[in-house]
Amino acid sequence: MIKRMLATREFALFVLLILVFSGFSLFVDGFLDWPDLFRQSRYWAVMGMIAVPMTFIITTAGIDLSVGSIVALAGVVVGLLYGDAGWSIWSASAAAIFVGALAGAFNGGISSYLRVPPLVVTLATMALFRGLAMGLSRARSLGGLPQGFRWLSNGNVLGFLADANGQPYVPFSFAMMLLIFGAGWVLMRKSWVGRFTECVGENETAAVFAAIDVRWLKALLYTASGLACGVGALFHTALYATAKADTAVGLELEAIACVVVGGTRISGGRGSVTGTLLGLLIIGVLRHGLLMAGIRQQYVVIYVGILVIVAAVLNERIALRKGGVA
Amino acid sequence: MKFAWIPSLLFLVALTSCGPTEPAPLASDTPAAPVADETAEPVAEPAVDAPAESLTIGVMPKLVGIDFFNATERGAREAAKELGVELVYDGPVTNDVQQQVQMVETWLSKDYDAIAVAPNDPDAIAPVLEDARAKGSAVIAWDADAAASARDYFVSQCSPESVAHALMDLVAKNCGEDAKYIILTGSLTAANQNIWMGEMEKYRQAKYPAMTNLSETPKVSEEDQALATQVTTDILKAYPELDAIFAITTVALPGAAEALKNSDRREQVYLTGVSTPNVMREYIEQGVVKEFVLWDAVDLGYLTVHVAAAAAKGQMDPAQATFTAGRLGAVGVANNVVTLGAPIVFSKENIGKYDF
Repeated sequence: MIKRMLATREFALFVLLILVFSGFSLFVDGFLDWPDLFRQSRYWAVMGMIAVPMTFIITTAGIDLSVGSIVALAGVVVGLLYGDAGWSIWSASAAAIFVGALAGAFNGGISSYLRVPPLVVTLATMALFRGLAMGLSRARSLGGLPQGFRWLSNGNVLGFLADANGQPYVPFSFAMMLLIFGAGWVLMRKSWVGRFTECVGENETAAVFAAIDVRWLKALLYTASGLACGVGALFHTALYATAKADTAVGLELEAIACVVVGGTRISGGRGSVTGTLLGLLIIGVLRHGLLMAGIRQQYVVIYVGILVIVAAVLNERIALRKGGVA
Repeated sequence: MKFAWIPSLLFLVALTSCGPTEPAPLASDTPAAPVADETAEPVAEPAVDAPAESLTIGVMPKLVGIDFFNATERGAREAAKELGVELVYDGPVTNDVQQQVQMVETWLSKDYDAIAVAPNDPDAIAPVLEDARAKGSAVIAWDADAAASARDYFVSQCSPESVAHALMDLVAKNCGEDAKYIILTGSLTAANQNIWMGEMEKYRQAKYPAMTNLSETPKVSEEDQALATQVTTDILKAYPELDAIFAITTVALPGAAEALKNSDRREQVYLTGVSTPNVMREYIEQGVVKEFVLWDAVDLGYLTVHVAAAAAKGQMDPAQATFTAGRLGAVGVANNVVTLGAPIVFSKENIGKYDF
């Protein structure tokens, strides 16, 4: 039992995280400072929130490339409704979440019911949603958001973990992200959603014969992805204090990287929400640690790229050893 | 189970290999500095009024790996050496403000004495710069301004008016005061470019009312040279009455020049704008572009580090109208904005003197 647990990908990733983390703590001055590390985690939170539904989507052998654009679009919706239309910030936020879910439902609907591969659909909507955001905002930076809203990404919670001055330092956004990961884990491991999702990724035809409504399930997952983007957009906009159409570029690749490093195979079949969380933490810690060590940003990108390749190769090797079914 | 060790090993390798590279950037610019730090601290060279512990200054360009910001780095290094301060010069690989924010966040963890950023977005950079000020760093915006509440000083290349006037005067001189023109910018949110375009329009109304801007919305090249070439080719086809093109980013101008070089309207359309001498040299020599405008990038980096160091030491006096910056002598200061000077008009005659 314990032996089986030790052999899992999650365990390998956990060991890797501990190694990277202790390596930086030992060799890089100023790295091991919990309040600082948690401040950094605010920049991973949105990536993480989006990576959870992305894990499910990739498990079905799908992909959602439009997440960055949906975040930009939903962010612009908040900025416009609050700044130009004079809505209250919270109704503007609700509208943004709705727009996100709608965008996701559009992706899911087209790919499931019109049978267009999700790669193609989301590649198209990646440009479409970005263009919409650009047009709606007329390419302006929309700022002037209230302090209460900014708290989403500035605020800290969990008072029992306080720094030297008695201030809590766990960002609300990071705590929210962990909650979403928790919900994702329950859905993946303890509910029919996860079972059906893995079944679809394993063998879609078999899933259809097993009376799973594959199309509906997929549409649901893309809608959930859009919903997560809508929520993420609030935190993203609060973090940078401005809504802009050209923000969150490349977010889709970062979220996909977390999922892939986390051991979910891009060809579908098995998804690990825990793995995605570990992937996110490894990438985040690696990036911050390398910068703290004085490595220039241009080389940091290279190290993160190497990490993704190594993880992908290992995943395939492990899958092969287990007879290809994983 | 066996495979669990492979990533670990690889990352030990990655970690150990990044160890030695850490001092490398320092070693290359100030050869003896790391050694001197440990052994010869009491006899620190610039013993005049340098505090016992040397300052660390972080300078962040909009992006790394382009000629302009390589030249500002040279100037920054020169000033850092002169002042005996430690310089960290690093920026994002694309002109992305989110990456800048995250990098400044890392710099906060390292408690630099001064942080100088050339922000890609004045508002999005503001919260993290405010945090830096709250933590006690001197905060400088350079090259492009940040929200005024977020920085102590702004080191400006030259006033936006002087750039705009120089550009408009060039077109008036070459195409007459009734020229029809189009502007090619970077992105529609690029702060410098938007201010210049505003000033150009003001100056046009005041001095050259007969000139016409054929496209109220500027054409966009997104800091992408190939796109600039493509857009310019389209402009040349779409506007037969066109006399002049302003390409006002360092990437847009060479891109536009490439398009004009291969166009049959090469002799009719006058192209000018803002770019760096190195990328424009061949077009100047071929006569595709006769003149363009820029400030001295090396001096800009040099001035930035001087201002950052003075601000960190508390030696900046906002009441003074000038600030003395090493070999540059006195430069103007007003409303916490330090201005390098007037722009340089580059042409066949003087381009040989510049290397950036």
